[in-house]
Amino acid sequence: MAACIAVIAKENYPLYIRSVPTENELKFHYTVHTSLDVVDEKISAMGKALVDQRELYLGLLYPTEDYKVYGYVTNSKVKFVMVVDSSNTALRDNEIRSMFRKLHNSYTDIMCNPFYNPGDRIHSRAFDTMVNSMMMQVC
Amino acid sequence: QNSELFTLTYGALVTQLCKDYENDDDVNKQLDKMGYNIGVRLIEDFLARSNVGRCHDFRETADVIAKIGFKMYLGITPSITNWSPGGDEFSLILENNPLVDFVELPDNHSTLIYSNLLCGVLRGALEMVQMAVDVKFVQDTLKGDSVTEIRMKFIRRIEDNLPAGEE
Repeated sequence: MAACIAVIAKENYPLYIRSVPTENELKFHYTVHTSLDVVDEKISAMGKALVDQRELYLGLLYPTEDYKVYGYVTNSKVKFVMVVDSSNTALRDNEIRSMFRKLHNSYTDIMCNPFYNPGDRIHSRAFDTMVNSMMMQVC
Repeated sequence: QNSELFTLTYGALVTQLCKDYENDDDVNKQLDKMGYNIGVRLIEDFLARSNVGRCHDFRETADVIAKIGFKMYLGITPSITNWSPGGDEFSLILENNPLVDFVELPDNHSTLIYSNLLCGVLRGALEMVQMAVDVKFVQDTLKGDSVTEIRMKFIRRIEDNLPAGEE
């Protein structure tokens, strides 16, 4: 269960960002933005790494007091960033990986929508539904 | 059998038409026209490959369309329902439509009949076997309906053998 999920274009602007409504949305935007530096560091460090699932998943980017931030980058340099509550210790690494895989699959479905122009902000009911299912349930 | 290229090609066609014509109604008409031109040709391929004989009534036609035609070209078998009392009108119910995989209609195209090509195809094909029909979508999963429903109505038999129309 995530607190915030973002999809970032290769030019580093947000295509989609959704966070739990209780928290200050701007704070999440800032967290995601700062995490992009870490993402870029990891990408350049990969160098000639073979492209396979493990390399797409970047793992924990950095922890803050309240949150842990995870990253994933596709071959087309689109990035997914996930902010998870630190207190949620039950969330294991392979669960995070599978959440990213679902995000990636939904993202490819959007790309196949002929009405979607790559680079546009994402407005898709199907994508929203999938992301909602991954967000923290806050009453 | 990978139908993604087909689906993506159709999608590219529709979006290009949307850019070329400024309103949904014109796009719908173009799709119907293009479908008609495909249908008048496709019927020959269909008849040659399926080897079906002449249909004796509209019910047989419906069966052939759903069980052989749709299966052959789209890999789906719609169900036939809602016959009119006179037997001249029926519905094809499509649970899924390969043309619309991954498609989400944006709000500014709410009157677009995305799969309208199919109506033209059916109309053109049946015209070549001397049947004038009216074909239209009455339900569409792209618009939030639970199924896609195509309504087909028999208008009349075409007795005079005019040369095949091009629109």
